[in-house]
Amino acid sequence: MTADNCETDRNGAAELLDSLYLDMFHLIEAHTNCRVDIERTNSNGAILLARTKFQQGGNSIGTAQIPTENSAEFNALCRVVKDSDTGNDVTVERLAVDKENGYVEPLHWFSVLPPMSLRNAADKFKKSIELVAESTNLQRELNAVLNGIDRLRRCAALK
Amino acid sequence: MLKTTIVDTRVRVRPSQNLLELLDEHKQHFKQLPANVANILKANGFKLNANAKVLKENELTFKRPKINTELLEKLTKDVPELQSTSTTEADEDQEEHDEPDLAKGNFLYLNDVHWLHNVLVDLRQKNIAKVYLHELLNSCELILPENELQERNPELEARCQRLREEQQNREYQKMTKNVDAGLKHYPEDTVAYQIKNMNKQIIAVAQFIFSVAAGFTFGFFGVNLMVGPLPFGFRILLGVIVALIIALAEMYFLAKKLHEYDEVLDAPKRKKTDMPKTSGVQQVKPHVD
Repeated sequence: MTADNCETDRNGAAELLDSLYLDMFHLIEAHTNCRVDIERTNSNGAILLARTKFQQGGNSIGTAQIPTENSAEFNALCRVVKDSDTGNDVTVERLAVDKENGYVEPLHWFSVLPPMSLRNAADKFKKSIELVAESTNLQRELNAVLNGIDRLRRCAALK
Repeated sequence: MLKTTIVDTRVRVRPSQNLLELLDEHKQHFKQLPANVANILKANGFKLNANAKVLKENELTFKRPKINTELLEKLTKDVPELQSTSTTEADEDQEEHDEPDLAKGNFLYLNDVHWLHNVLVDLRQKNIAKVYLHELLNSCELILPENELQERNPELEARCQRLREEQQNREYQKMTKNVDAGLKHYPEDTVAYQIKNMNKQIIAVAQFIFSVAAGFTFGFFGVNLMVGPLPFGFRILLGVIVALIIALAEMYFLAKKLHEYDEVLDAPKRKKTDMPKTSGVQQVKPHVD
């Protein structure tokens, strides 16, 4: 029980700490990659929006087209929900457009036939939201690993 | 200052001398080593084992390690949650004091760290050395991927400045239009100017209509007069055919002319560098940087 058990425990802890460190490196890289992707999709979307405005001219869209506080209420098409499988992760849930139940397609505020670049821009921003969710999950994992490292180190220091 | 995109997303570790000495000490125990590690060892004056095979970067692939969460829970269940950040700051201060001597030159990347982990596991199993990765990493410097900072282009800055000034001038002119009698009549604001502008287009369209009508008249009456009496239906058919041919030809010229007209309208907006004479009725949207 005593010394031998303690020794295996300590070895286990040390190996666990090693794998935690490796996992931390992996998570940092994945998180950075994800951030770079977010940046890229966002800037692509912004460029496409700018192109839409350039092609349509400055005056073609007014604030009257966008719903105000007084207009009818509508539901969000995209929600952030907790993943039911893992419990801790977040995912982005997309709902189908359904006018009768209040799910409005925002693209149709601007025109019935939105230009290609506007549609592409919307796609880019949708992709970006998914990437943000992914990044959040990675960050949570990273925090958990960092917390584990911290606690394990203090626990190892106690012995 | 602008931040640019992260180019290299890899985590880098600057190895310490301890680590390299350890590798040197046990170099007969591993059969192969990554090229990067070999380069670092060479750069710091260590000799490589002649039998060791140097692996290229793409020959190594590692997956994320599996964390034994149960063991982690078991070991850390009596450790309290970290409350404040003060302790970590103290830790950092300590680390700054005893700066370990770091190796020169290259960095270790994730694959190399994985390889190191495997080597250490191997060494422990053979009971040669009892060293853990985290002990080695404690003495190394971790370099996280960072954005590079880039100066804002002075040309862009000057251009933005100029655009801002133009915008402000235009807004001011619009504001003071009612006050200053000299500014009251912009050429764009008068009815004559707009009608003149519209006339150009109307004339082009009227020309089109006239020539199509003339073509139809020729087909309907002209051919009849030349060749003798023709049936009514045939005359209409002839008129329509001639009008159609003329319409097609005319359409080409009309499109060309209207297109040119559009370009003439657009050009001064783009090219003018000094204070534009436009009243700014259409361009009151503030320029957002």
